[in-house]
Amino acid sequence: MSETPLDKIRNIGITAHIDAGKTTTTERILYYTGVSHRIGEVHDGNTTTDYMEQERERGITITSAAVTCEWKGHRINIIDTPGHIDFNIEVNRSLRVLDGAVFIIEGVAGVQPQSETNWRLADRYNVPRLIFINKLDRTGADFYRAFDTLKEKLDIVALPLQLPIGVEDQFSGVVDLVEMKAIIWEGGELGAKYHDAPIPDDLLEKAREYRQLLLDTALSVDDAAMEEYFEAGDVATATLKRCIKAATISGAFRPVLCGTAFKNKGVQPLLDAVLDYLPSPIDVPGIKIAAEEGEDEHAERRRIKADPKAPFAGLAFKIINDKYGTLTFVRVYAGTLRSGDMVQNTTRGHRERIGRMFQMHADKRAEIKEVSAGDIAAFVGLKDTMTGDTLAAAEDPVVLERMAFPVPVIDISVEPRTKESVEKMTIGLQKLAGEDPSLRLRTDQESGQTILSGMGELHLEIIIDRLKREYGVEANIGAPQVAYRETISRAVTETYTHKKQTGGSGQYAEVKIVFEPLERNGGVVFENKVVGGSVPREYIPAVEKGIRVQADTGVLAGFPTVDFKYTLIDGKYHDVDSSALAFEIAAKACFREGMKKAGPIILEPIMDVEVTTPQDHVGDVVGDLNRRRGMIQNQESSGSTIIVRAHVPLKEMFGYISDLRSMTKGRASFTMQFHHYDPVPRNIADEIMTKSA
Amino acid sequence: MPTPRLHWMRGRAEAEGGETRALEWIGCDDAGAAIARVVRLQGPIHTGWRLYRAVALDTEARVVQLRPPPPAGADWLACIGGQVVGRAALPLQAVRTAEAALGTG
Repeated sequence: MSETPLDKIRNIGITAHIDAGKTTTTERILYYTGVSHRIGEVHDGNTTTDYMEQERERGITITSAAVTCEWKGHRINIIDTPGHIDFNIEVNRSLRVLDGAVFIIEGVAGVQPQSETNWRLADRYNVPRLIFINKLDRTGADFYRAFDTLKEKLDIVALPLQLPIGVEDQFSGVVDLVEMKAIIWEGGELGAKYHDAPIPDDLLEKAREYRQLLLDTALSVDDAAMEEYFEAGDVATATLKRCIKAATISGAFRPVLCGTAFKNKGVQPLLDAVLDYLPSPIDVPGIKIAAEEGEDEHAERRRIKADPKAPFAGLAFKIINDKYGTLTFVRVYAGTLRSGDMVQNTTRGHRERIGRMFQMHADKRAEIKEVSAGDIAAFVGLKDTMTGDTLAAAEDPVVLERMAFPVPVIDISVEPRTKESVEKMTIGLQKLAGEDPSLRLRTDQESGQTILSGMGELHLEIIIDRLKREYGVEANIGAPQVAYRETISRAVTETYTHKKQTGGSGQYAEVKIVFEPLERNGGVVFENKVVGGSVPREYIPAVEKGIRVQADTGVLAGFPTVDFKYTLIDGKYHDVDSSALAFEIAAKACFREGMKKAGPIILEPIMDVEVTTPQDHVGDVVGDLNRRRGMIQNQESSGSTIIVRAHVPLKEMFGYISDLRSMTKGRASFTMQFHHYDPVPRNIADEIMTKSA
Repeated sequence: MPTPRLHWMRGRAEAEGGETRALEWIGCDDAGAAIARVVRLQGPIHTGWRLYRAVALDTEARVVQLRPPPPAGADWLACIGGQVVGRAALPLQAVRTAEAALGTG
């Protein structure tokens, strides 16, 4: 697998808003690179990367799929990611391990909400990226308007490398501003035939203007290129490409290409741009090792550079379970690994033996004997490795930066229909949760029900469907519930004494704890400030554990309590009657008493909602969002439609799609994603507490 | 764009992220006399006790404070002699501005 030199490998992701054409573009790439001999279509349910039954039935991508292809002597590993916000974890983990990404932007709508979300994720991981403005054949498509939304919504310096020739059904090719030529697709043969041509006269002036902008911007990153320009009045194509690549990697600007994947135009130059401008594993600075406790997350630390001869280091970024067992997808950053080798799971501190290794092609696999720096492969036989864990050689046991996972916002209860299914359901859900870090499982302490928490209704619907199809479990599902949280609004100091000393061995523990509110997303933080041994050191972990366990069941309505700090400042113990259990019980009771006095409040998820509606229904849409406790953020027009953005509590958004359709005769659509948690109004809090009681 | 008529060469430079980048480009006539400069703006800069929001370096590399500070995106000054003749976001644009002011472009 590692015969391709490192500088000829590209690990890229294809990402975009739902329905912008990611899978369609990937399908063309596989056809033109000779991997597949026909082009699958999303609407026909026969694409390579959408291989799950649910993907084919629904025409959406649910899980990211890895495929490999060859183009002009390079190997390109591609991950096609989902566009729906409910499956954002797939984009998150893919961007974490890729060296570059292609962002597909719809030529009619421009930048859409999910593109924005994914763009911010790519910013977080410093992923170099190209932009492909797609669907230029569609009615209403406008390259220049879509291009303007890049600046407006992403606040970036975007630079066209191409201009479209014709628009909508007249779209026939592109002007290549790097080589100043036209590329025309001939029609037929599924877009495989195209030729170079002179730039059409009516576009020549515009092409010169954009070429000058390209030179002005690109050459400014390289003084030697500037000198070449001053000397000759122009630069060689190779010089310009070198500058564009440097700027793409540094993020100085974002190159923009265009086409229509569905009509088979523009994909081959996009592949050329992937080779020319996106980095190989040796062009990137290397992955950072994780920060030590207390160290600044953003500080510069040692980086692991791509080197097949260095000690092995890789990151497990995805786990799937199928009929052959558990497959762990690993991005290899350094070293070379062979089947049968031992590695250290440095995140969890144990050793793992590598069984068989595969190169994946969507749901198909080809066995390989070794894997090297720069590659992505799937391992069989890892027993206790989870998403985000580092695998490393024993001689250099580094821990790589971990991945950040999104917060689930919707809960459902799930119960097996038959007693025989209880065990099967538990196993199935644990495996599904092991695959998907955005899915959380817990047992409600009062009802004993299994609660599934996920990213949205669709996410949980797919999980339940997989439980049925893959694990044969029929389950009764509760109505989706908002994943409320509890927190406190003021600091309080609470002392609690746990004492049971009537006959037999007794129990004694006293704790004095300060509870303080933290900012949103502050999590739960523990600090020990005990001095003089008033609480012996061996009992401190029991106090910490007691509070953490109890915090899962808040005092108001039983929702997890978050965003607070608890500091153990004092306590008492008894030489004979104190134990870890006694201190854990005391801590739990102290939490319950302390929280009641600390101004507890309930938090609810607030969603960022974007409704796209025809102009004549704007009033109805805005009025309805207001009725749903929405706060309108802004309205903007895009052609004949209006885009309304609002922050709306998730509780009010259940069933919104059917209301929106009836309100607008099916002409409006909406997307939403989690934005933040806010305190619920008093009347709603009372309602929630009454219900939970 | 017409071919630049002045001969442009690197002026002062500074190390930036492991590589040396030009802080200024100097435009010379055919006789080799420096008659134009494009200068990259810097700032904010602490010098002594003072914080300067935007500065340029003059021909003798002295800090020159710009008042009022230039608008965002105008990172290069085009200078002829001691006079600023224009501003631009990118060095090549500043070069064109300087040459246009000289009437050589």
